[in-house]
Amino acid sequence: MGKQDIKSNILTTTVESAINWGRKNSLWPMPFGTACCGIEFMAVLASRTDMSRFGAEAIRFSPRQSDLLIVAGRISIKMMPVLIRIYEQMPEPKWVISMGACASSGGVFDTYSVIQGIDQFIPVDVYVPGCPPRPEGVVGSLLKIQDLVDKEKLFDYTFSGSK
Amino acid sequence: MSLEKTTSHVKERFSEAVLDVTEFAGEQIVHIKSGSVFDVLKIFRDEGFNFLANLTAVDNLTLGGFERYSVVYHLLSHGSVERVTVKAYVAEDDPIIPSVENLWKTADWQEREVYDLFGITFEGHPNLVRIMNPEDYKGHPLRKDYPRKGKTERTDFPVVERGISKENKT
Repeated sequence: MGKQDIKSNILTTTVESAINWGRKNSLWPMPFGTACCGIEFMAVLASRTDMSRFGAEAIRFSPRQSDLLIVAGRISIKMMPVLIRIYEQMPEPKWVISMGACASSGGVFDTYSVIQGIDQFIPVDVYVPGCPPRPEGVVGSLLKIQDLVDKEKLFDYTFSGSK
Repeated sequence: MSLEKTTSHVKERFSEAVLDVTEFAGEQIVHIKSGSVFDVLKIFRDEGFNFLANLTAVDNLTLGGFERYSVVYHLLSHGSVERVTVKAYVAEDDPIIPSVENLWKTADWQEREVYDLFGITFEGHPNLVRIMNPEDYKGHPLRKDYPRKGKTERTDFPVVERGISKENKT
């Protein structure tokens, strides 16, 4: 192996940016579709705005294998305990997209049975406005999540046995 | 058997219970007291009204009426293709009405729905528990004096903080 080969085959970086680069380009979304936003979310995965271009096409209805929760649709008082359980089942690190007016604020459903914004109870990273949002908007929110993932500091994480 | 015959039959046999018979938009409405609803509806069923198309309730708080609540039964006869509405009036302080689950099985879930949202108890129902609201829910939200935004049910949830590993994050 000559000097020239080393130059073109080795690059130096930090562990942090390598991990963040891998993480942000292979997000595993857990969709929580409860209404029309859930239908609109399917269009995001279809050919025109293909989310797999950003490495997030592995949709798993399995919170324990996911790191991105997409709440799409209105959350009723009967569904909120389910959503909290699912959020708690997801391993750290995790991010949350609140898709559409209903998940973010209750939307037009200002009634006793609809939660007026899921951010009262679970942490939300990116909100997508719209009723329902355009697929481009959801892809935009994914890019925002990627920016957030890129800014993660490995130092912030505590590992078991260390502080 | 035709609707007129059945209605006069009911009026004859339950002159005490029938409060009024009115007509709206070409269809007959029989207003009755809640106590004899099972016997009255049994006559309707036996005389051809074999299908309970709908069972619901109305809160007459601002509408006026014989009593605070009316439980509404929409019946259909597949034989003579006639429809009739039966309204049974239920008192405010003791909202109890006999169940018609024995006459039409479809009344099972519809009576549970009315129980859930209006708090009207159906005597003789095999499994009278809430059908739509959470099991531990308090109150009956379709009553007109129930606040539209609820009491505290939509804010009564634990707040989940960001994970411990991310607590330094701003």
